[in-house]
Amino acid sequence: MSGAPAVRVSIESSCERQVQEVSLDGLETYAPPLSMSQNLAKLAQRIDFGQSSDEDEDGPERDSREQWSKPEAEEDEGMVKFQPSLWPWDSVRNNLRSSLTEMCVLHDVLSVLKDKKYMTLDPVSQDPSVGKTPQVFQLLSKKKSLATAAQLLLRGAEKLTKSVVENQEQRRQRDFNSELLRLRSQWKLRKVGDKILGDLSYRSAGSMFPHHGTFEVIKNTDLDLDKKIPDDYCPLNVQIPSELEGSAYIKVSIQKQSPDIGDLGTVNLFRRQAKAKPGSQMWHLKLEAAQNVLLCKEIFAQLSREAVQIKSQIPHIVVKNQIISQPFPGLQLSISLCHSTGEKKNQRASPDKSKPDDHLYVLEHNLHQLIREFHKQTLSSVVMPHPASAPFSHKRLRMAGPMAYDKAEISSLQQSEGLLEKIIKQAKHIFLRSRTARTIDSLASRIEDPQIQAHWSNINDVYESSVKVLITSQGYEQICKSIQLQLNIGVEQIRVVHRDGRVITLSHQEQELQDFLLSQMSQHQVHAVQQLAKVMGWHVLSFSNHVGLGPIESIGNASAITVASPNGEYAISVRNGPESGCKVLVQFPRSQAKELPKSDVVQDGKWTHLRGPYKEVHWGRMEGRNFVYKMELLMAALTPCP
Amino acid sequence: MEAPPVSVMPVTGGAINMMEYLLQGSVLDQSLESLLHRLRGLCDNMEPESFADHELVYLLKGQQGNPFLLRARRSLLHPPAPWHLRYLGQPEVGDKSRLALVRNCVDVSASHGLPEVLNEMGFRMDHEFVAKGQLFRKGGMKVVVSKLSRVLVPGNTENTEPLSLSYLVELSVLAPAGQDTVSEDMRSFAEQLKPLVHLEKIDPKRLM
Repeated sequence: MSGAPAVRVSIESSCERQVQEVSLDGLETYAPPLSMSQNLAKLAQRIDFGQSSDEDEDGPERDSREQWSKPEAEEDEGMVKFQPSLWPWDSVRNNLRSSLTEMCVLHDVLSVLKDKKYMTLDPVSQDPSVGKTPQVFQLLSKKKSLATAAQLLLRGAEKLTKSVVENQEQRRQRDFNSELLRLRSQWKLRKVGDKILGDLSYRSAGSMFPHHGTFEVIKNTDLDLDKKIPDDYCPLNVQIPSELEGSAYIKVSIQKQSPDIGDLGTVNLFRRQAKAKPGSQMWHLKLEAAQNVLLCKEIFAQLSREAVQIKSQIPHIVVKNQIISQPFPGLQLSISLCHSTGEKKNQRASPDKSKPDDHLYVLEHNLHQLIREFHKQTLSSVVMPHPASAPFSHKRLRMAGPMAYDKAEISSLQQSEGLLEKIIKQAKHIFLRSRTARTIDSLASRIEDPQIQAHWSNINDVYESSVKVLITSQGYEQICKSIQLQLNIGVEQIRVVHRDGRVITLSHQEQELQDFLLSQMSQHQVHAVQQLAKVMGWHVLSFSNHVGLGPIESIGNASAITVASPNGEYAISVRNGPESGCKVLVQFPRSQAKELPKSDVVQDGKWTHLRGPYKEVHWGRMEGRNFVYKMELLMAALTPCP
Repeated sequence: MEAPPVSVMPVTGGAINMMEYLLQGSVLDQSLESLLHRLRGLCDNMEPESFADHELVYLLKGQQGNPFLLRARRSLLHPPAPWHLRYLGQPEVGDKSRLALVRNCVDVSASHGLPEVLNEMGFRMDHEFVAKGQLFRKGGMKVVVSKLSRVLVPGNTENTEPLSLSYLVELSVLAPAGQDTVSEDMRSFAEQLKPLVHLEKIDPKRLM
């Protein structure tokens, strides 16, 4: 033992139990031993209750079965159904045998160790040169091996970082693709070579504007991976044609005609940008703005083409980005295309900034609608040819040849009104309507008696609106409601329908409407007296809407009425004119007149009850807040109490 | 009363010479649906327009070799629509790089007495067929997908049998002479239909 290197001998007990699990750190878990009840159950399972207890008949079979079931008795739980071994000491015998084996081995090892007769314990031989190497070599070899190990680790780490970077790249790549998918869901895209082009024009919606409207989709690669990705970063960028950059709108406005035509074509007012909807991408905003610019250009091109081609009485002027026309004398309608590229911010300092609400937004909206209507018409199925080999043209125009239409019929089939004419008509109507409203409102505010009320209808047409004008006296609305006018405001004229059935057509002149309303107001007063007389019991002696006597009115005609009291003693005469105002005279019975000379002819006392001379009433000094009230008081005063 | 003197010379000619640019191809019946879907997406946004036409081809045999050919076509779906008479000239022998078939084209709308007039003029009907299918348009381009059927009994358009198991696809544009950008547009449109149908220039002379 001494001198020879030590040999390590390991002894461990034989495994009685099975290894259930070997964990990652080498620890073995054994299956727990069976408890008493489990053991009993296991033994009971081995008993085959179906078999008879006769041993003689199945002797040899049993023996063979025994021999064959012995070697697998230990692991035999699954096969127990076969034939339980009738040898109950089987497991005991096996255990004893295995322990005998182990003991013999131990004995052998100990004898080898002690006697060294036929066998010795020889340790595993070591490399003899290891101990002789100097320390430097050892160091070097250790260094080399460490270096190899380090290299392996570094290579592995490199691979890991590369895969992480690739993942990030892929994620960005996927972002670009998902953005592209979103873009494609809203805009038309196609691939040409290795470029992705898109179409933002209205051509597929029926427009015939020759602009191509192509935009290009480019990948946004100017991103530094080290820095933090900005919030509004988008991996996709669109490049729109340079002439569609910025934003544009069409400005329609009506102004008094400017005396000089020097400064035309320089209208470039710009209003603030529309707020972007949250969540919409930058490319979407850019594309929408470019599409709007294209549409505005198309509208303006169509308008200017029509302005030049269509012959009208007063020619339209087209200067740079503005079209000027004259709907009414003294009035100027200007349609201009305001396009700002968004770079120069100092163009807001424009001289006519004083009227910001000059812009008729309704007409701008209508222009957009009209051009879209025009687009839709080119796409209607009326144009499709039947039979299919015929060229595209309007269905009814194709009949022109076979049915031998003449020029008048053909021109009636063609589009009658262009965009410009339509928009001028609409502008005229809007202007006429606003002026009518202004006239009525100014009269209403200026004149308190009688009152004028205007009820505008909610539902109007682009070319026609209507308003109902009532002239009433305050406090007597139920009695005096004979003047009710329905005004239908058209493009150039106003049609008035009176309650009594008369229809009058007024021109666009503001003065005509005003004069007409004033004359109606004066007539109202006289009508009111008539209605009041009915209520008060007075009798109407005479009534005339248009009196031919007295001073001539410059506006309309004067009206007059004479009413007599219930007992006939008094009479009131009223003459009312738009300009001359009202004149009220009261006729007294002769008995009350002092200056009447006594006559010999008329001697009977009863003749003094007749009405005689007239006396004018100082109407201005009468009590009462309006004419009808004063009249009522007067009538009441002249009616004696019974 | 005398007729007023004619002071203006009658108009002779002066009509614009219209050329038809044509590309043709065909698809089998099974692939028709996918082609129609693609066309619906690429072409102008309208409801798909179906048509059923009856075409009669009239020949006038003169002393010279080539007979004069006229095509008279009427719609079976819209009987009151006028007939359409068409003359197609010889394909222009331009450079080979011309991408579409270009030929002179004269289109005339005619009333319903057209066959009688042609017969009186000396034309004889060579053959007739029925074409049914769908019609698409994109701007000025017309795409016609049609199934041609043979008329078994002359004059009876109810009794027809299809000529083949495929549909004829034609892309055509009517434009005045001299516009070469038209064929470029046609070619780029045909590129977009590429895997479904190959539209190409088919010279009718080579088929004879």
